[in-house]
Amino acid sequence: MTTHAHTAERLTADDWSGGTFPYHIGHKKLGMWLFIVSDALTFSALLIGYSYVRVSSDQWATPFAFSPSILFSTSMTLCLLASSFTMVMAVAASARRDRRKARRWIGATMLGGLTFLALHIYEWLHLIEEGLRPFGLAQGSAFAKEWTERWPQASPLFGATFFAITGLHMFHVLTGVIYLGYIALRIRRKTHEDVEISGLYWHFVDLVWMFVFPLIYLLSVDFHPAVH
Amino acid sequence: MSTRFASLGNLVKKQDLILNAVCLLFAAAFVVMALSNVRRAGNFFSIDSLFFTLVSLMLAGIFMIIPLMWAYETGLLRNLFAAEGDDAVGEAVPVHFEGTTKLFLSILGFLLLLTVIEVFLAYIQVPLALMLTILIGLSLIKAALILAYFMHLRYERMSLVYTLIPMLVICICLLFIFFPDSFRIFNLRNYR
Repeated sequence: MTTHAHTAERLTADDWSGGTFPYHIGHKKLGMWLFIVSDALTFSALLIGYSYVRVSSDQWATPFAFSPSILFSTSMTLCLLASSFTMVMAVAASARRDRRKARRWIGATMLGGLTFLALHIYEWLHLIEEGLRPFGLAQGSAFAKEWTERWPQASPLFGATFFAITGLHMFHVLTGVIYLGYIALRIRRKTHEDVEISGLYWHFVDLVWMFVFPLIYLLSVDFHPAVH
Repeated sequence: MSTRFASLGNLVKKQDLILNAVCLLFAAAFVVMALSNVRRAGNFFSIDSLFFTLVSLMLAGIFMIIPLMWAYETGLLRNLFAAEGDDAVGEAVPVHFEGTTKLFLSILGFLLLLTVIEVFLAYIQVPLALMLTILIGLSLIKAALILAYFMHLRYERMSLVYTLIPMLVICICLLFIFFPDSFRIFNLRNYR
């Protein structure tokens, strides 16, 4: 297979005349890149829809106090950034054909992803306990009075946008961890390109969070938190 | 002669697979029974409940013995999870990797620094419009760093970059076409 591709490459003068890899990457990797582009469009459509609702509404609930909510989500961001770094180290180890080390770095990446998931689920449960629902703010909870007093006209879509966007991202992290686990288990049967492709997916998940974190969290900081 | 042996081999494999599948099915059924008991039991730590769960799990374990022994004897367990070895399929494209640990660490440092700046902006309460502009700008820089170095795009052919990035940017810019309407709705509220 290897020799076949390379002979074809030598025989044809032009990259785009067929029989060669015009991008100098394999088909699988090109497929992952195209998937990433389409997935990026899904997320940008969601985030832009969120921004549209945000700009057009008079009032918007801003329930995230700097401490602890924002510091909490910042630590989640650090988890993802660190896991992205360990993933790039895994790809580097795999490029040196050091499968054992590559597997260890992938394990560290999965640990970062799982920590992110645990923190995120904890945060979700906390918000649900406060009474936040996809189509309503603070219903039937001890916090309901406070929320309705502070943001009486607020759009109920806060919960919908929050749960939809962070939920979809969380699902991506979960599938990423499973994908990395599969690659780590079967690393002996996998080529360097397979490891690199799983890395591409993981970095993409990190990249999406780089937009979700400022738009969802940092723009909803509570500047006047109520004293309990 | 060889074809006869091959078909015999297939038959043995098929029998093995059926036996293992049946055993796994029974094991799974007993695990489900144990779990449903955990769910339904009002007080889990009662003698009845513990006994039923333990017996279910034990039966599941007994049914798991056959598939596990089969996997061990055929070397499936060792082969499946081994890190060493050289039986990976050949690379279709030669391995091409650039970048050192130092480079990746400095990129990580940059990303952390930009994140800290963003969080600091949230802390000092910048006006919303200015905040949004700075946040989007910083996030775009972060995205570019991740794309270029972590996702290795800087070391790929420009043809790949030209295929992927402009169409993404154009599609995202097209989505902004609806924004004037959101300003209209916002102003309608204020005039009322």
